Amino acid sequence: MSLIELKDVYFSYNDDTKAIDGISFNIEQGSYTTIIGHNGSGKSTLAKLIAGLLPIKSGEILIDGLSVNEENISKIREKLGIVFQNPDNQFIGSTVKDDIAFGLENRLVKSEEMEKIILEYIDKVGLNKFMDYEPQNLSGGQKQRVAIAGILAMRPEIIIFDEATSMLDPKGKKEIKQLMADLAKDDTITIISITHDIEEVLQSDNCVVLNNGKLFMHAKPEEVFSHPEKLRDIDLDIPFIEKVKEEFKHRKIKLKSSDLKGLVKELCQYHSNH
Amino acid sequence: MKGLVFGKYIPIDSIIHKLDPRGKLIGLILMIIAVFIPKSWWAFLVIGLLVLLALILAKVGIKMIVQSFKPMIFMMLFLLVINSLTVKTGDVLFTIASVQVYSDAVFNTLFVIVRLMLMISITTLLTATTKPLDLTLGIEWLLKPLELFKFPTHEVAMMVSIALRFIPTIIEETMRIMDAQKSRGVDFENGSISSKIVSILSLIVPLFSVAFERAYELADAMEARGYVPGAKRTRYHILKFKYYDYIFIFICLATMVFSILTRIYL
Repeated sequence: MSLIELKDVYFSYNDDTKAIDGISFNIEQGSYTTIIGHNGSGKSTLAKLIAGLLPIKSGEILIDGLSVNEENISKIREKLGIVFQNPDNQFIGSTVKDDIAFGLENRLVKSEEMEKIILEYIDKVGLNKFMDYEPQNLSGGQKQRVAIAGILAMRPEIIIFDEATSMLDPKGKKEIKQLMADLAKDDTITIISITHDIEEVLQSDNCVVLNNGKLFMHAKPEEVFSHPEKLRDIDLDIPFIEKVKEEFKHRKIKLKSSDLKGLVKELCQYHSNH
Repeated sequence: MKGLVFGKYIPIDSIIHKLDPRGKLIGLILMIIAVFIPKSWWAFLVIGLLVLLALILAKVGIKMIVQSFKPMIFMMLFLLVINSLTVKTGDVLFTIASVQVYSDAVFNTLFVIVRLMLMISITTLLTATTKPLDLTLGIEWLLKPLELFKFPTHEVAMMVSIALRFIPTIIEETMRIMDAQKSRGVDFENGSISSKIVSILSLIVPLFSVAFERAYELADAMEARGYVPGAKRTRYHILKFKYYDYIFIFICLATMVFSILTRIYL
């Protein structure tokens, strides 16, 4: 049984347009799945449906065998955490420590135990120096790290990143992506990342491509990018490395590598052979 | 906004900062009663000395308190004029432009001014030495009895603490929108009142729309982290009365009793 199962899910904000139009796929435990698609393709809506923040119109989403609905919502919230796009709008506490405490307070963790958990996760995201800082004195990347610590402290099985890096500067983006890659190594945590960052997709195990609320593709990243023309049809970009490979393909030179180092090596070998 | 002194927290370490916010709030109420009851200068002298002692202990700096009196100067003059014109008891002190100023008019004004100055000092002392969040916790505790009448104290405290948390964010947002509108040619400083209202509108409309968007996202984030309004929650900060909190409340209580006694016997 998969950890997350989507069965023919439908959703619409108003009656005329379907934001999510009959989507089915499974996500395995411990995997790292990226969801891509152009603006308005239904990515964020899908994340909110999985997290139970929006009610499904028809179909079913199962998390660990539990259907996402009003009745199971508190059990599902225990299994799942979500990091949103805007670093400011998810900072609830007045300091870093208070913000991490917010989720624990909701979970009825005793005050004596809280301090230890808070310090543990502040350390995990590397914010030891900043634990008494107020949000206005933190950078966007630091605030996102606080949000991640706040969610990790609740020990979820699933973490959804809803475009968590899109409002950050390049440095913050890099830090958060690194943190996500580290988390992905942990087999007990399943990661779903909604992203515009094509390079991030290459880090993931699986990629879900959405187009106009429909499932366009669900495959390994290499396979997704092996059809560049298909992705271009739905206004999606492809990674730099795939662009290079495509250009060489037009010149009848086939390259196989899927990482930059390998590609450079392959090109050098090709150059010395011809 | 930088000149704002009244109500600003000053993060230093002092015995007054360490006091329990609940104790400080009780103290505030007792001291306000103590300030408003007496009609004798002796009582004001004692209260004034106690406030001065607290200010010194809190290391807040007299300068800051004096600064917070500034907005009152106009009110003092206004009161003096009104009192001079209306109060006609006591001895005639002097005459200006055929208006006789009686001693009671001056005394009454002085009483009101001293009361207000003491009040402002006491409240500034509270807000300068207590973190807004601790203050919220203290207010929540004081409102606890209202829970008997189904008053949602916890939700109100949560709302207040979120409002406090978002003040700097919203100020930053306001500055950003002002800059954005200025760069599009909106003039906030010059022009007639009607054109100023139009320019302010160009600030307020986007500010509100962004604030609502923030509120929706914040609600989602809170819900996703397991917050259910009205549900039981534990607390990270637990307030505990220590021996010095009891001493502090006792001093405030004694001051109030003293000022009531001066009203009766002096």
